[in-house]
Amino acid sequence: MDRRHFIGQSAAALGMLAGFSGQARANLQKAEILVIGGGYGGATAAKYLRLFSNNTAKVTLIEPNASFVSCPLSNLVVGGSRTISEITSPYDNLSKRHGVKIIQDSVTSIDPVKKTVKLASGKTLPYDKAIVSPGVALMMNSIEGLAQANKAGVTLQAWKAGPETVALHKQLASMRDGGTFAISIPEAPYRCPPGPYERACQVANYLKQNKTKSKVLILDANQDVTSKGALFKKVWAEQYSGIIEYLPKHNVTAVDAKTKTLKFEVQDDIKADVLNLLPAMSAGEIAVKTGLANSNGRWVNVNFLNFESTAQKDIHVLGDSIQIAPAMPKSGHMANQHAKVAAAAIVAELSGWDVNPAPVLTNTCYSFVNEREVVHVASVHQYNTAEKTFKTVPGSGGLSPAPSTLEGVYAWGWAHNIWADSLG
Amino acid sequence: MKSALLLGAILSLITASGFSQAQSADATKLYHRSLAATCANCHGTDGKGVVDGGMPLINNLTSEQMLTQLKAFKSGAREGTIMPQLAKGYSDEQLEIIANQLGKK
Ligand SMILES: Cc1cc2nc3c(=O)[nH]c(=O)nc-3n(C[C@H](O)[C@H](O)[C@H](O)COP(=O)(O)OP(=O)(O)OC[C@H]3O[C@@H](n4cnc5c(N)ncnc54)[C@H](O)[C@@H]3O)c2cc1C
Repeated sequence: MDRRHFIGQSAAALGMLAGFSGQARANLQKAEILVIGGGYGGATAAKYLRLFSNNTAKVTLIEPNASFVSCPLSNLVVGGSRTISEITSPYDNLSKRHGVKIIQDSVTSIDPVKKTVKLASGKTLPYDKAIVSPGVALMMNSIEGLAQANKAGVTLQAWKAGPETVALHKQLASMRDGGTFAISIPEAPYRCPPGPYERACQVANYLKQNKTKSKVLILDANQDVTSKGALFKKVWAEQYSGIIEYLPKHNVTAVDAKTKTLKFEVQDDIKADVLNLLPAMSAGEIAVKTGLANSNGRWVNVNFLNFESTAQKDIHVLGDSIQIAPAMPKSGHMANQHAKVAAAAIVAELSGWDVNPAPVLTNTCYSFVNEREVVHVASVHQYNTAEKTFKTVPGSGGLSPAPSTLEGVYAWGWAHNIWADSLG
Repeated sequence: MKSALLLGAILSLITASGFSQAQSADATKLYHRSLAATCANCHGTDGKGVVDGGMPLINNLTSEQMLTQLKAFKSGAREGTIMPQLAKGYSDEQLEIIANQLGKK
């Protein structure tokens, strides 16, 4: 082979390589990426797929709601110190600023073989990659009589922020003085471990100012307070003594809507005036229906390097729907962090690069104990290659020493920043 | 034959160094961006926080200033609410990457 020939071959080989690289990039630009659900996980994923691909990926977000209503801070709306409009954000910045195509609709089915999704409007859309972040489904059948009672508005969940959040505040405001507001908590895992205890504080704060003869009853199916336990108990004793009563190991099994009576596995029946019943939870309905919930039929197992479902290729699942790693909470902060790992992994895969072998997640979660003072829990989770899961870093994270108004300022700051990070 | 071997050697060199270097430079950039994005929930996308949002703004810091503060949080030299707890969860190398990504250039 003469030198010229050799150079020619090398150039051809180089061209081939360049071609391969061009091809991978073309995959990134051509692939149809559908994001199902515009909550903390989905909205963040849609935005970061665009950012991480330098605005080249084709991203479509499917979400039935016209605007985003935050569950974080929604307890303040239940307690009456904030309004629902203060925790509502528009979706259109995702399209205007980031080029995400938004379809206001809901997905009725996913065909993982044909790689298509069907919308309620009847349209079918193809995908190369689907991101599924539908939040939780409330298992209404886990409490006898709950489905009908909730439909009739006798009980409320308000665990998906929106009209029920406002309705629950109204029920609280129109409760007779001397009445009881009961909140029931299912066995963990459920969405937002400290959320129900924060809600109890907000309701008690309202009662303290408006209906001093009334009380809050916390009916917890768990053995003890599942998050920030010592901090909440101290607040209940110091700020809400005689207002909040905490009953652990109280698993509600049935509700009689007519008499507003709750039944338990072991204990005597309890009557209350306002019933905020939280049933057991599972992955969002569309995830379960698609056969993704391969952990006890309730939660979705994922590969933590790219959040791909272990049940179906090219479907990545985020947020509350997944089977968590140890000590990983079902929180909005965490869903936003899942989204960034998944978005980076998908951009890498479609570019023909290796997926980041060492992703990191953090969590911070603030709880308002009245309208100004807050306590937090924080953690950092590093990917552990040997165990193929996320592990919290020993010595990192922790709790607040006590409630403070400074953390109250940070809690609002966190909310505004995460809304802007996910949707702005 | 000799040149075919040579071609193979060059190709594998190209693959192992030049080509994959170009690839890995882009991939590494992506890993770094996604690591820094772990801070965005509280401090804003790319470190640009909501002005007057209540959370301390970090986008006026240089990379060097940011790294000094992150290390001080990690060692306990600087007090805070959440940052001392979070900083302890990252390796020194990760803190350096974050400071380089988010610090004012
Ligand atoms: C009272 C309360 C307080 C909380 N406080 C905090 C807090 O302080 N900090 C924190 O980090 N977290 C908090 N959380 C938890 C947080 O709200 C959830 O963890 C978070 O919303 C999970 O994000 P997600 O993307 O999994 O689900 P979601 O945010 O619920 O988003 C799911 C989205 O998917 C859409 N969807 C569902 N099915 C379909 C379908 N078939 N087709 C199309 N779209 C669909 C829904 O309309 C929804 O918009 C709180 C929760 C509650 C209830």
